[in-house]
Amino acid sequence: MDRRCFVVGSAASAAALSLSPSWAQEAYPSRPVTFVNPFPPGGAVDVVARPLAAVLEPIVKQPVVIETKAGAAGQVGAQYAANARPDGYTLLMHITSISGFAEVDKLFGRAPKFTRADFIPVARFIADPMLIVVNDQQPYKTLKEFVDDAKKRPNGIVMSSSGLYGALHLPMALFNKAAGIELRHLPTAGGGPALTALLGNNSQVLCSSIAAASGQLKAGKLRALASFGGRRAPALPDVPTLKELGYDVEFYLWVGLFAPKGTPDAMIAAWREFSRKAAAAEAFKKAMGNVGQDVAYLDQPEFKAFWDADAQRVEAAVQAIGRVQG
Amino acid sequence: MLKADHVAGGAFVVLGLVVFALSGELPFGTLSQPGAGMMPKLAAGLMMAFAVVLMATARDGEPFSAIDWRDGGHAALVVAIAAAAAALYTTLGFILTMSLLVFALLVVVERKHPLPAALYAVALTLAAYWLFGKALKAPVPRGLLGF
Amino acid sequence: METTLDSLLLGFSVAFRPDVLWYAFLGCLVGTLVGMLPGIGPLAGISILLPITFGLDATKAIVMLAGIYYGSQYGGSTTSILLRIPGEAASVMTCIDGNAMARKGRAGPALCIAAVGSFIAGTFGVIMLTVIAPPLAVVALRFGPPEYTALLVLGLIFLAYMSTGSLVRTLLMAALGLLFGTVGIDVMTGHFRYSFDIPELGDGLGIVPVAVGLFGLGEILATPSRQVAGPVHRPRLRELWPSRQEWRQARMPIARGSLLGFLIGIIPGSAHIISSFLSYAVERRVSAHPEEFGKGAVAGVAGPESANNAASTGAFVPMLALGIPTGPVTAVLIAALLIHGIPPGPTLVADHPNVFWGFVASMYVGNLMLLALNLPLVGLFVNLLRIPYAYLYPLIIMFCVIGVYEVNHSIVDVWIMLIMGVVGYALKKFKFDPAPLVLGLVIAPIFEMSLRQSLIMSDGGWLIFVQRPIALALLVVSAALLALSALSFLSARRDWRARLAEEAADS
Repeated sequence: MDRRCFVVGSAASAAALSLSPSWAQEAYPSRPVTFVNPFPPGGAVDVVARPLAAVLEPIVKQPVVIETKAGAAGQVGAQYAANARPDGYTLLMHITSISGFAEVDKLFGRAPKFTRADFIPVARFIADPMLIVVNDQQPYKTLKEFVDDAKKRPNGIVMSSSGLYGALHLPMALFNKAAGIELRHLPTAGGGPALTALLGNNSQVLCSSIAAASGQLKAGKLRALASFGGRRAPALPDVPTLKELGYDVEFYLWVGLFAPKGTPDAMIAAWREFSRKAAAAEAFKKAMGNVGQDVAYLDQPEFKAFWDADAQRVEAAVQAIGRVQG
Repeated sequence: MLKADHVAGGAFVVLGLVVFALSGELPFGTLSQPGAGMMPKLAAGLMMAFAVVLMATARDGEPFSAIDWRDGGHAALVVAIAAAAAALYTTLGFILTMSLLVFALLVVVERKHPLPAALYAVALTLAAYWLFGKALKAPVPRGLLGF
Repeated sequence: METTLDSLLLGFSVAFRPDVLWYAFLGCLVGTLVGMLPGIGPLAGISILLPITFGLDATKAIVMLAGIYYGSQYGGSTTSILLRIPGEAASVMTCIDGNAMARKGRAGPALCIAAVGSFIAGTFGVIMLTVIAPPLAVVALRFGPPEYTALLVLGLIFLAYMSTGSLVRTLLMAALGLLFGTVGIDVMTGHFRYSFDIPELGDGLGIVPVAVGLFGLGEILATPSRQVAGPVHRPRLRELWPSRQEWRQARMPIARGSLLGFLIGIIPGSAHIISSFLSYAVERRVSAHPEEFGKGAVAGVAGPESANNAASTGAFVPMLALGIPTGPVTAVLIAALLIHGIPPGPTLVADHPNVFWGFVASMYVGNLMLLALNLPLVGLFVNLLRIPYAYLYPLIIMFCVIGVYEVNHSIVDVWIMLIMGVVGYALKKFKFDPAPLVLGLVIAPIFEMSLRQSLIMSDGGWLIFVQRPIALALLVVSAALLALSALSFLSARRDWRARLAEEAADS
């Protein structure tokens, strides 16, 4: 781009923006919208948000900027969004673990930095059931063999996770409680290191998303014992669900869009419409299919009901883990 | 005579004590299960030990009064201006804050003529804005005025 | 071997397609840019440009995005050498001797050596990647928490060779760095440590804000403009190219840095950060003139710059051969492959030979492009030093603020940088060297985590560190190093440090 042309152009448009606020109010959004991504690039939110933003831009007719504010397992970004001006120009993409922070704070006797009430749910885009996977050096072919062995030697089998109270730790805690087993927990610095620990046999079992495990499953380096879904995943028709096996546990790694509390209703309505169109777009479906996900779009009312039920699962999981000694 | 190393060592000992005071509720754990407080307390303890050695061997060192603090005023002014920029950055946005930062440094600290200083500040800021915000499409703070 | 050659030929047939060449060039160009600008590293660069690749096929996408990654390792040295701003963790060591060279009027040679060293290391890394990736990757997987702990013990011992100051000062700074490294949430138990209710401190003190503050800002605070008499050193054209003697001094450090960096790079996790620190310490240990380090030693630029580039290539080994995201950047690249419909995994090479070998071949071409891109830029960038200091340092401060903010879009990081600037100023007054502090900060979180992970794996038994062969070997090397230095201390009672102190006292 010609720099001189750009400088003049941006100065002119900036002047237009600041001089005529009434004009700006007519068409929402009238300037770029920021999606806060509370996880590092390449993480659970990023792989959904980037293709989504690409699809959204022609619908919204404004740039959708993804701003990475990673830190403290998603807490920093969520708190930033909770305190952002509710002017409809700062929204948050977050995952399952958004419900857990307040509960963890309660556990440690800290005042929560934000609660679920600080956010208005807008739409859910994907919901990936979690898997229980073991590495190929383990003898277990079925979940029953695994549970039997775990019962024989409590605290003897090592499970890795993305971190304490993290998205890969919570479902395993729920399952352990339901199955009445005790595993030794090896927290790592994220989903990638947790998978690396499993593949290197530094841990024996991991709760993983389908997307992260699919390449290793195909190569036979990992075996899936069960899934946390309500029904079998289309990509893995041979893997039974926990419900089929008699454990009443369900858990999804979902990604949703949130607005800070106080965002005007009209803007929420606008984003519900944008989200619906984007979720139906072929390009988005294809990108999600490549990542190994199906678009599991929920509009606001259904998403809210889902989120309420999901938060209870997350809170139960945090309580099941409790405070770690040491 | 008071040596520089006495002062420095003393400061590190005080810092170490502050760290211990702040780590009250962090459990130390055991050797086979180290707690959240073990590593910080070990590091602070090591730091204090080295600080004491430093003070003990300070006799041959430079006297405290020999340290030249004449650049302190300049440093304080630069830090104050940079701190003001940090405080205003997200409110005023990239272009305004950065122009003001460079302008203030040139005029207040360096006593340059305001006109060339302003030109240099604005040109530099716009070039940086183009590099970060446009060429690399990195999100930069936009501020209340929308740019 | 023959099959490898055949495959590589297939790869080159892909890599030399004009459109693939173009995207490789684009990636290298953007990589040079994001590497040069402080704060925006390869991680941000790749994720920001990821959407642009949605319209491309997977080969072009990965070729371009990987170009950003290894290209950024070339650019990283520029601001370190010229402005003493370490744009990322890997270039912290470069800003010590690189900037010292620039002050002596040898900015051009420093930049040239960094570029050539990066080229040699990058190409060496790709050759290794071509020839022995799969067996190496299997070894990399065996590098678990106990091995990490042992490696970092070795790193801590090398710490002693990092600094010009006395041993007590070096160790004191290192302990302070270790202490700084414990700020943040304790990953094992969830306790917040010294974070004063600021959630941004939950992930601890970032390396970039601390390093930029200590080195970049701290230096400016201690250098009032009236003390800078005239322009420092106007670079003349014939001074841009390194002298024959400088080449000779750079040769072995580049070779050692390449090997060391590659080996550390293949280890999954964040070990690659320490590659440039370790290389610096090794160069100083083996150097015949350790007293030159910190005052513009060529080896202090050549070694670390080669090491960080070789490490970035080494990181592709587990990523491509096993499909595991070993570090933040490879995680983004894997996500990019996924979005393009290629699930990375052990079967990647067999399933998508075009992508894999095209990618490998493009790295040979890309490294050549980067050399051709960076050497002419040297002549351009040294002109930055022609700006009078009174105008140059506001520019540096501006880039410090912008860059530190862009790392995580966090204003708290900017405050950390400012505070560390003041700390750096004070440390300079009391003659402390901040380099060991930064290494301590880098090592502390990884060391603490891997140590405690190891103890979880062994259920509290410390024998795990001697039961695993790689860990045991690393610990034996550490012990030997300690014994050696103790021996020389006892027999001679004076090493080069003591000599140095005496010389300083004499003069």
